[in-house]
Amino acid sequence: MSSTLALWLGQTINGLVLGNIYALLAAGLALVFGVAGLVNFAHGSVYMAGSYAGWVAVSILGWPLWAALPAAAAVGALLGLCLERFAVRPFQKSAHVASLLATIGAGMIIDNLAEAIFSPNPKSFPPILPTWRLSLGLVSIGGLDLVILGVSILCAISLFALLKYTRAGRALRASSQDSEAARQMGVRVNRMNAAAFALASALGALAGVLIGLYYNLLLPTIGFQAGLKGFTACVLGGLGNIPAAMAGGLLLGLGESYGVAIFGASARNLVAYALLLAALFLRPNGVFGGKARSQREALTGSFIPQGKAVRIHPAFGCALVLVAIVLPLAVKSDYLTQVLAGAWISALFALSLTLVGGTGGIMSLGQAGLMAIGAYASGLLAVKAGWSFLPSFLASGFFAAAIGSLLAFPALRLKGHYISIATLGIGEIVNQLILNWESLTQGAMGLSGIPAPRLFGVDFSQIGSFYYLSLAVLVIGALAITAVQASPLGRTARAIREDESAARSLGVDARRYKALIFGIGAFFAGLAGSLTAYLYTYISYETFGSSLSILGLTMAILGGLGNVWGAILGAVILSGLPEILRFAAEYRSLVYGLILLLVLRFRPQGLLGSE
Amino acid sequence: MRKHGLKAALAVILSLGLLVSLGAQKSEPVFIGVSGPLTGGNAQYGLAWKKGFDLALDEINAAGGIKGRQLQYIFTDTQNDPKQTVATAQKYIADKRIVLATGDFSSTSSKAASAIYQRAGLVQFGFNNSAPDFTNGGDFIWSNSPSQSNEAPAHAAYVRDLGLKKVAVFSLNTDWGKVTGDLTVAALKKYGVEVVLREAYLPDEKDFKPIITKAKSEGVDGIILVSYVNDASLLVQQIRGQGITVPIVSNGSQATADFPKLAGAAAEGVYVAGDFTADDPRPEVVQFVKKWQAKYPGQDIDYFAVHAYDSLKLAATIIAKAAESDPSISRKAVRDAFVQVRDVPSVIYGKIAAFNPQTRRVDEFLGARIVIKDGKEVAWTGK
Repeated sequence: MSSTLALWLGQTINGLVLGNIYALLAAGLALVFGVAGLVNFAHGSVYMAGSYAGWVAVSILGWPLWAALPAAAAVGALLGLCLERFAVRPFQKSAHVASLLATIGAGMIIDNLAEAIFSPNPKSFPPILPTWRLSLGLVSIGGLDLVILGVSILCAISLFALLKYTRAGRALRASSQDSEAARQMGVRVNRMNAAAFALASALGALAGVLIGLYYNLLLPTIGFQAGLKGFTACVLGGLGNIPAAMAGGLLLGLGESYGVAIFGASARNLVAYALLLAALFLRPNGVFGGKARSQREALTGSFIPQGKAVRIHPAFGCALVLVAIVLPLAVKSDYLTQVLAGAWISALFALSLTLVGGTGGIMSLGQAGLMAIGAYASGLLAVKAGWSFLPSFLASGFFAAAIGSLLAFPALRLKGHYISIATLGIGEIVNQLILNWESLTQGAMGLSGIPAPRLFGVDFSQIGSFYYLSLAVLVIGALAITAVQASPLGRTARAIREDESAARSLGVDARRYKALIFGIGAFFAGLAGSLTAYLYTYISYETFGSSLSILGLTMAILGGLGNVWGAILGAVILSGLPEILRFAAEYRSLVYGLILLLVLRFRPQGLLGSE
Repeated sequence: MRKHGLKAALAVILSLGLLVSLGAQKSEPVFIGVSGPLTGGNAQYGLAWKKGFDLALDEINAAGGIKGRQLQYIFTDTQNDPKQTVATAQKYIADKRIVLATGDFSSTSSKAASAIYQRAGLVQFGFNNSAPDFTNGGDFIWSNSPSQSNEAPAHAAYVRDLGLKKVAVFSLNTDWGKVTGDLTVAALKKYGVEVVLREAYLPDEKDFKPIITKAKSEGVDGIILVSYVNDASLLVQQIRGQGITVPIVSNGSQATADFPKLAGAAAEGVYVAGDFTADDPRPEVVQFVKKWQAKYPGQDIDYFAVHAYDSLKLAATIIAKAAESDPSISRKAVRDAFVQVRDVPSVIYGKIAAFNPQTRRVDEFLGARIVIKDGKEVAWTGK
């Protein structure tokens, strides 16, 4: 066998082995989606929790493996029931995006609890597995590879049979197709959903133990990525169809392995998320998926109840701005000034999200990627091309708007949670591009030495003066966004958000309006990124990750989607929180997740009401 | 008469109070501000530092501290996040009790705060910062860390002396990994070792099989790792799992007890180009091991704890020197003491003659060639 063929064969086997693992992750996600029509973003966290449950059983309690596996599955099932009860059922009447966000919040809580209980130091299993291996040319596979394969196949067959041939399975499918009709036929829909979650989570936890044993490095931080990869597999293969989703897992594994073989190890996630976006844009039903199910997806905007927003009288608003201006002079603390300067930038970011999410009805889960584009645009222009502050700052907004809109345009015709997933993918891809495009961005080195802003002869290197720069930008941005919301563009966007079909029937080109609102939001996100770059003088591909996107969205939701003052309030609260809660720094993301869940559940219109 | 008595009493009370407060000031502790990860992905290193610091403090304060004043450190958890190191720097600058601040875990997070320390005139002692350009931040930025420009060539020399001719280099794709990886590859080429494959992998990578298969198809006789413990333990397990038996030579981050624990049997026989072994016969190492075992019986010694111990003792020596010329221990006096300090004993280096005034680093470098045997780090005997 020629060496290139041997290499190709070896990488194919590697890809299938990895794909096996993705298939197992995808199965649980596809089950929940198929039955409840929901994206469960806590699935990755349940998978992680399962791996620790197995570890506790084997390493601490000393149980044999055949007892640890069902124990972990039981823990998973329990978590699944909790998830359904607290993060899904309360949102049954609202749009599915509310549930998606709630599962993100629940995932953050589970992740943080695991880190607090088990510490961030990695754990490994004692050597309990047989070590025989089978050599296949350049690669070898071991016993655990075959076990995982066996479990996957068993899983695919039994779930398929369960759903198609059993009475319970028919009930599950009925409640997913039309829950009202199913109820009338005597199907206990809530019970069905709970059962689906329990089953899917048990499967996820089982996958966690097996894959935890496989890599033998347990960390509390793997949940989100695992969930995202699992979801990518589902989208690639076909979301509502379990065997298709598992096949998607194999495809993803192959794609990643070939990608690494050709482009190098750091290209892995770039390839994975490029596949995600390609699937979403070109074949939303997946490579193996069947015809489209009828979209009874409620529109995103309507998860916010109608109600009166709290009106901030313009005079009161001016008074608040005055307080902000006077504050650093009255309270001489560089530390406080630093925190607040950061809060103003976060507020600008939250404003961009509240515009896109509230007025535009698009829950953007990757908005931090737009910040990253703006930050790098500014940073590179300042450091490499010697541009002064104002032109590079403004350029950042335009770059973010242009590139962001370009990337997001194909996604704008998607509905509901598909568009949110697409924005998540875009956020990830931007960061992977920044990491891999070394000649432009310096890759993992990051960009350092960003010079202090100079404007109208004033040097803003000191935090005292930077504070006023960011405050000024925030005030101007808030005024601009308020103006956009009040304009015909804003009114049309809200009409589209409320009822796209009705708006279309009035002759409105929905996609173009959504693109405009998204572009304007991206512009301000880019400006926020630029300010961040100038404030910290150093940025990298890790500075603007998905957790920042979710935090920004939480700020906007906390304040009230579409509410300008709300976004600012949300940003100040959530920026100040880590400093106030310094003693509980380990529990930071738990608090964020809890806030997100509680706001969605008990006050979805936010503190100041949505507009 | 009564009035006079009252005034006299007041005068006595006031002067007593003044004396007491002066005395209190005299016995108030001297503070070092530490910036580092206590939570998050790098927490294990911050916790290792604390062990080293506490051991050093026991000795320093038992010997009278800094001219009679106790030495203490304030540890702010930054999670090695550049955004938090910056906020912490602001905090430390504003706290007038702090005479010296330390750098954070990674050079990048530390560099983000350097400008603030430099501008405010508070020394940033980046004891863990090995990036060659770390001290470029200004004359208040100092480090006693072994520099990558010494460690990488030592790693490459180890590879050469093991007789490896054709290797694959796997490095972590972070700022540290890139700089160290580039320096290591350059040194390998200089020593006549052929690098047929260079792969930079993502920090949270789990699946290394594709690059391992590539290395196997190239027919390498050794695999060189520039990694941290988590990825290194995954790599060695997967390399051995794929049936590859060629030598693995890693950088010094694996000189920690966690590595053989996590990697299990796969760590056996892995070579580590480290900075320190606990079984080094040098008298300062032997003494240190005794002190460690007294305070932390049964706990493994790792480089990060030892270096933290060394660094705190060095800092105490420098602060004491500053106190000699300036009893109020101004921050500027501390900086000047960095320039003037001479001949400080060190567990890692043996002795530090002085800081290099141009680079603000130490030029000494010993290095230690380690191999993992029976789950423990031992000095390499030469075959």
